[in-house]
Amino acid sequence: MNDMRLTERVVTDTAKMTARGVQVHYGTNHALKDVDVDILDKTVTAFIGPSGCGKSTFLRCLNRMNDTVASARVTGKIEMDGQDIYDPRVDPVQLRAKVGMVFQKPNPFPKSIYDNVAYGPKIHGLARGKAELDEIVETSLKKAALWNEVKDRLASPGTGLSGGQQQRLCIARAVATSPEVLLMDEPCSALDPIATAQIEELIDELRAQFSVVIVTHSMQQAARVSQRTAFFHLGYLVEYGETGKIFTNPNDPRTESYITGRIG
Amino acid sequence: MTTTHILSAFDRDLEGIQAMVMRMGGLVEAAILDAAEALETRDEELAQRVRAGDKAIDALEEQINAECARVIAIRAPAASDLRTVLTVMKIAANLERCGDYAKNLAKRSMVLAQMTALPGVTGSVRRMAKQVTLLLKDGLDAYIARDARMAEDVRQRDQDVDQMYNALFRELLTHMMEDPRNITPAMHLHFIAKNIERVGDHATAVAEQVIYLVTGAVPGDARPKVDSTTTGPNA
Repeated sequence: MNDMRLTERVVTDTAKMTARGVQVHYGTNHALKDVDVDILDKTVTAFIGPSGCGKSTFLRCLNRMNDTVASARVTGKIEMDGQDIYDPRVDPVQLRAKVGMVFQKPNPFPKSIYDNVAYGPKIHGLARGKAELDEIVETSLKKAALWNEVKDRLASPGTGLSGGQQQRLCIARAVATSPEVLLMDEPCSALDPIATAQIEELIDELRAQFSVVIVTHSMQQAARVSQRTAFFHLGYLVEYGETGKIFTNPNDPRTESYITGRIG
Repeated sequence: MTTTHILSAFDRDLEGIQAMVMRMGGLVEAAILDAAEALETRDEELAQRVRAGDKAIDALEEQINAECARVIAIRAPAASDLRTVLTVMKIAANLERCGDYAKNLAKRSMVLAQMTALPGVTGSVRRMAKQVTLLLKDGLDAYIARDARMAEDVRQRDQDVDQMYNALFRELLTHMMEDPRNITPAMHLHFIAKNIERVGDHATAVAEQVIYLVTGAVPGDARPKVDSTTTGPNA
């Protein structure tokens, strides 16, 4: 609620996901130590911190991507809308439809633009016919601000698009399954400034519909797009708070050292 | 923050801007003291030098603003770095106003040099000038030392200046009631006293910027005011 940017939409206070006492070990390496975070609904949350600080590890806990890493061991509790996502009855594939993910490098399937977006809704059975699927593809591409650029060549391969377009295609693909949370792991680090600005604008629009969690190495990007910022350091969540506050007057000296570019 | 930036050019930029503000502070303090001395000793040459010297103060402020704009554009400062740049700009603006007051004091002292002196008044003005330059100096020292407690002390001490102004106000009023021919010099001296009192307020503003720089919050409580000339009819 305490958003310093006056023109911004109001930030909700309801938690979409809550993490309590989350620990992650990769074999003997203790990568994440006792993290407590509330990811707010319809809010962009940025995770910042130096390489190896645990921010990506934590992001991957939120949709159980760490399940795919054999050496990873996750303890603690992560709930979404009050339901434990690590409950054995939860199907991780279903969970990942609700908690979508976009990666650092655009990774479209070697298929057509249409099929890239239609793939998720198809395997999750979200469309009852061709017409409905067409509609999902169109609205997803529109949400990803890509429709106008590709509507005349939906059958051409997704890999033939430019880097920025490919990344927006991946966002359209993630959006197509109607997620409630969208995780983004450095979604702009392989893009030029124009494509970056388009993705950032998109992120701001997307937050009207769901929560976005973004890991970024660009502190300016975190400052620009997020309403909440979490700073990770050496596996600890050092500070979590309103973005304007973190970037003008952080509480922890380690946060201060990191965001001002000092050796911390 | 005592540690340095990974990018050392950033440190040099910030240090450069702060050095300029300190130089500006030194020039302003000297201008106020010189103008008060010129008033008491009726030294028109010194007064003229103070008037000419204000150009250098104005130029420094412009240079500081340009440098701050450059640092914001190039370095995108955050947290304490951001507060440093913001406070430097505000402090420079405060100092620039103080420079103008010194210039005005010098100008009036040249007019007053042509008139009969009111006994004792110029001495009080000079003591008051000394007091406000001390406030300015301590405010700027608190800035360099990032010392919020010292800044708070400056804030509190401004009431001494207010008290000196009140006393002077009454003294000038007495002179005017005694002899209408005293009105012209007394009016000039009153403007001088009021301007010096305003310098004290600017010193307080500098101190508040120091508190913001150190703590991230501007002091919220009202500071003590003892200017009875605007509140009571008994002046």
